[in-house]
Amino acid sequence: MGSSSKRAGFLVALTLLVGMRGIAQNDSSRWLHVEFPNDSPVLPVSFSLGPTTFRPRGVSMALDLHASLLLRNTGTKPISGLTLRVEAQDVTPAGKGSVTVPSLDVQPGEVFPVRVDMELLRPFNVAKSEGAIVQVSLDCALFNDLSYYGPDKLNSRRALLVYELEARRDRRYLAKLLQTGRYAQLREELNFGLPDLTPQQLGLELLHGPRAAARREQAIAVSGVSFPSSPVQPLSGAAHVAGNEVRAPEVEVKNTSQKMVRSIEMGWIVRDEQGRDFIAGSIPSAMQLGPVQTGTMTESATLRFSHPTGQPMLIGALMAFVNDVEFADGKLWIPTRADIDQATNDPILRRALATSPEQQRLADIFRRKGITGLQEELKKVN
Amino acid sequence: MKSGQSATSMHPSLGTLALYVGRDLPRMQHWRVGRHVAHCDDCEQQVALFRSANGELRREAKNETLTAFEAIADWNRLEREMLGNIAVGVSAARCIDKVRRGRTLLSRAAVVAGVGALLAAGWMTHIPREQTEHLAASLRRLAGFEHPQAAGTILEGTSEGVAVRAQGATLTIMHPPSAVVSMSGVSAVAARYVDEETGEVTITKVYGQ
Repeated sequence: MGSSSKRAGFLVALTLLVGMRGIAQNDSSRWLHVEFPNDSPVLPVSFSLGPTTFRPRGVSMALDLHASLLLRNTGTKPISGLTLRVEAQDVTPAGKGSVTVPSLDVQPGEVFPVRVDMELLRPFNVAKSEGAIVQVSLDCALFNDLSYYGPDKLNSRRALLVYELEARRDRRYLAKLLQTGRYAQLREELNFGLPDLTPQQLGLELLHGPRAAARREQAIAVSGVSFPSSPVQPLSGAAHVAGNEVRAPEVEVKNTSQKMVRSIEMGWIVRDEQGRDFIAGSIPSAMQLGPVQTGTMTESATLRFSHPTGQPMLIGALMAFVNDVEFADGKLWIPTRADIDQATNDPILRRALATSPEQQRLADIFRRKGITGLQEELKKVN
Repeated sequence: MKSGQSATSMHPSLGTLALYVGRDLPRMQHWRVGRHVAHCDDCEQQVALFRSANGELRREAKNETLTAFEAIADWNRLEREMLGNIAVGVSAARCIDKVRRGRTLLSRAAVVAGVGALLAAGWMTHIPREQTEHLAASLRRLAGFEHPQAAGTILEGTSEGVAVRAQGATLTIMHPPSAVVSMSGVSAVAARYVDEETGEVTITKVYGQ
């Protein structure tokens, strides 16, 4: 009797779970809602959910969502880059995500795909609204003439603009290597398969909110990596370091140009206990800085670094460089290839500084199709 | 006058006479032997000898019995001595046991200390300092010596995805293991990779507030 009732209960639970899985796969609108403005130059043609499933995990429900969107350029200008905003208001009202596809060359009328692979972990006790769990919308589309469309709530325009300028710089550089027959240098630039030149990977956490000062915290100096043509130069800096945590990093910068600066994006390099350098990322900050003026860039968040294996990365030193500068007139400065070559003698760090999204894409084409494929791609885009 | 010759062929054996003296014969046989002895001088003399010897044996037995009584009368003393000896033995055994137990405890403590020292050496050489501090902080929090820090929004980038965690919920945008993770502003973590299906560079980000 006991075992038969247990069996019946198991069958009921299994039936319910199978039924719920079925809903997840069939009723896609319940899980994902794609919304673009009617006047958008980019519109969804279709979207489909892949093997989307959900399952209980502890006291939460885990939803694996794999969506593929097909978008069409309905405008009159070629699209160079695009950012989609991904939100799950019921689940993480304080957080959101985005998927950016830079280095595009989508001509008017053309269709292109964008994939969204995500996982949501939602406690059972969180109230759910009537709408779809995940909302996907357009945040910004950058055109070939560097104009843009979109609400730009995530400050995507600036990032897309930097990516596009870097892409144009790197395409010109690689095309020149091809034209002048410097194939050995081209291979060296693009062959990411060399283990000693592979960009180092790291895991990181950005911690917000009040945090007590860590024990054994020590103040360290932040050294600057200067690009000769940069309109803003790092002068000095400091940070509090405890083990694998960096708290309150700050850098004093000076505007060495004759133009008013609106914002500066500072790049950070972390040197671990073994002397290896990692590009930790970059932080844009709004800063009104007149000609020859100095200012201090300060960050409030705590950064925690780890190796890809999860082992904490002990921080040996911190370096900062000016990644890009936005002037008051809206123009952007990015380092040239010559700037990057002269900035450091370390080939790994130089490669890390030079690795733009476009160079990564072209390296993938070079690896798959060789020099011929790369030549065709550069002709097409340029 | 007793007729010695006529009765000789009827004389009981010496064993029967001994049993007769000891009153160990069956009643009928005892009566018949008694009638014979009453009428036979030789047998009467033999019975007298047996009785005399029997009396001597009884006296000796009596003396022996007294000696045993004397021994029994001193049993308490013997018992005390025996108990004392037993107590001494038990005490000695306890003393030996204490020594053994002490030695066992000492050897066990030495083994524990050795393993502890090995673990400590291994921990110091293999576990990074901040993990030790993290563990110590967790233990302090568990013991109530330290209050947990207020949980804010946490942005995380790993080899599987970039995630934003807040209030028990997590939003993770997945990426392949080849993705390069970096911070993108003070409130965003990014991952960059080439999408195997589309061939396009894709940059995923999560944002905290």
